[in-house]
Amino acid sequence: MKVGEVNMGDASNQGVPEKVVDLMVDSIFRKNGIKPDELKKNLSDEQKQMLKEMVEDLKDQVDQFNKKNSDPTNE
Amino acid sequence: MAVYRSARDTNDYSRNRKQQYFLDTEDRYRCSCGNKCDEKCRHESRNESEFDYNFNNNDNDHDDATVSQDGEQYAFMEQESAELIWVKESCDITINTTDTQAGVSLQAGLQLAIALVLRITIGDSDQSEAVSQELMQQFDMTQSNKQKIYIYNTKDATVTTTDTDLAINIQVLLQLLVALIIIVDIL
Repeated sequence: MKVGEVNMGDASNQGVPEKVVDLMVDSIFRKNGIKPDELKKNLSDEQKQMLKEMVEDLKDQVDQFNKKNSDPTNE
Repeated sequence: MAVYRSARDTNDYSRNRKQQYFLDTEDRYRCSCGNKCDEKCRHESRNESEFDYNFNNNDNDHDDATVSQDGEQYAFMEQESAELIWVKESCDITINTTDTQAGVSLQAGLQLAIALVLRITIGDSDQSEAVSQELMQQFDMTQSNKQKIYIYNTKDATVTTTDTDLAINIQVLLQLLVALIIIVDIL
């Protein structure tokens, strides 16, 4: 470590606790009269596959972004 | 003799305040409870605050009271990042900063994906729009990130700056997206 190293903050592992997000989504669905069981029926297998790929792709991008942010010297 | 008095309508919070004129009669002193109570009614207890009283007793003016948001409210996720690094009379300084542009587009992509998942799963556009807006509104983040770093008369220093706000936003949006996807049994 070089002399006088300053780190303005580590961005990894931050965010809202998972349960909070789950509860929030659940309450908003309830408020709008949306039942998760019915939502499942609306999706075809093809759509499910596409959404799955999209989310996994975005997940990778976020991971990469966080990695780059937390350790910029690897660039 | 008729005396004209003017009074300001206290229930009227709108801009066009109106003056009311009425004849000064005995009825002026008569309270709504039927007695002469002057300014304050002594015959009924009013526990609610003036706002509640006006709110509850002004049905005509508040027909839309159950509407949780009006058309002018949107989900804002406002961000401002400013970075200033000033190096003066120094040598061998290493500075690592984050390119926020990549993060901003990733954030936009995640927001779009959330809206898309809702639209596909819920179907009905109005309903999905309402849910989408409400979800985003929970993360009503107005953030301002201003960093000023001044390095003076220094040798061999490394400065690493991170835009944590953006990283957190992205993390939260991803969490939200994953939560939605799990609810509809995709992951």
